[in-house]
Amino acid sequence: MAEYGSGTAAMDPATEAKLQAWQQERSSDPRGYYAKLRAQCPVDFEQHLGAGGDVTVATAAVLSRGDIEEVLRNTNIFSSEMGIMGSEEPVIPLGVDPPLHAMYRRVLDPLFSPKKMAALQPTVAAQVNEMIDSFIDKGEVDFSAELAVPLPCLTFLALLGLPGEELDALVRWKDIMIRPDIVAGSREAGAELQVRTAGEIYQRFGMEMEARRDAPRDDLISYFMTVKVEDGRNLTDSEVLRILFLLLAAGLDTVTISLQAIFNYLAEHPEAQQLIQDDPDQIDNVIEELLRWETPVQNLTRIAKVDTVLSGCPIPAGTHVIAALSSGNVNEENPESLTVDLTMGDKAHLSFGGGNHRCLGSHLARMELRTVLREWHKRIPSYRIKPGTQIEWVASSLRGIDYLPLEWTPAKG
Amino acid sequence: MKVSIDADKCQGHGRCYEVASEVFTDDERGRGQVITAQVPDHLLAQVRSAINACPEKAISLSE
Repeated sequence: MAEYGSGTAAMDPATEAKLQAWQQERSSDPRGYYAKLRAQCPVDFEQHLGAGGDVTVATAAVLSRGDIEEVLRNTNIFSSEMGIMGSEEPVIPLGVDPPLHAMYRRVLDPLFSPKKMAALQPTVAAQVNEMIDSFIDKGEVDFSAELAVPLPCLTFLALLGLPGEELDALVRWKDIMIRPDIVAGSREAGAELQVRTAGEIYQRFGMEMEARRDAPRDDLISYFMTVKVEDGRNLTDSEVLRILFLLLAAGLDTVTISLQAIFNYLAEHPEAQQLIQDDPDQIDNVIEELLRWETPVQNLTRIAKVDTVLSGCPIPAGTHVIAALSSGNVNEENPESLTVDLTMGDKAHLSFGGGNHRCLGSHLARMELRTVLREWHKRIPSYRIKPGTQIEWVASSLRGIDYLPLEWTPAKG
Repeated sequence: MKVSIDADKCQGHGRCYEVASEVFTDDERGRGQVITAQVPDHLLAQVRSAINACPEKAISLSE
């Protein structure tokens, strides 16, 4: 998840600058960055941050596909129990280990299954088209501000049963959670703002829960409050809050940055736009291949519960172990992974993680991405990045593009 | 050829039933299920694609 949050003690400017530099280099060119690290050692102990942006803990970033899979799958050694984004208590299910984790996933998986997401698809398609309506005649748009940011937020509000007017508040919350330092102006102030905002979010969700306690509605909050888990009990209020917090923390920016990375690639590759125009059925393959190639969520973090060894490197207990998904997805161990083929949707990738914590929202994300690509290309088949724009990737493990101006020739009439 | 999914490895990525929809389907949690265990020759390419696509290496094909 995001690299910022607790554990962000004040740093000297030189350390801060170094941190900014490698993160910028990684976001701008993750494939080159990780190839360089791999050439030195299969485990990186120098760069990368601990969970929640902690700069004080020992970290080990694993770079080979095999080690990444081991870290994601071996929950006996690699624990997920940690707070994120200002939430002191582990969020559910991201910050919970087995066996409790399996109990939560049994309840949550069916809510985010492909069939459930297909039922939500027409709502998302309508939202996408409404957004396109608002800018198509202008022949240009900041894709980030006008589509990539608001779309996942509106989908989230619809899922939770909250009114669309909450959009602005939601965008502010998720910005503070993802990059508090930028919103607040410094890492220290950001960490404080993030904790305060997490409290505000918990309080707000608590109010929504109260409103549904006696009068359940047809939405996810009501569902969480009434569902029975395996021993026949209800989820506690604390559990429901920590699930809602996770959905907010993990479900918004991840889709936003995936849209930005994919549309940036497509805008720079007219032949890819042509492929979609000639055969819209390729859209699913295009998305899978670009999720792999761009790896918008660049890493996941676990904590070593015991002393262990990866690729011959000793990893002491307590080390924050970073599974560098970008490095696993594009890696000379597998020569086929070093090139892009947009008609190949079957190069296995770890962009939604792996093991029992596989992204709960992956089917929601895919549905949103496919809907945007389908609706956009029906109406704007050919477009480019506005000439003169310097694309700047956000220097964070969530690799996005805040400003992505696209332009096209509007239809006459 | 016979195809199977290791239910302990499957995490519900959903790749198999998307790239080989005539051989696999999804359960209520989004996990893969085999619908055609004995794979006819004309579907073998689909199955191989599903094996490639599965991030958990949960699918196997045997004689």
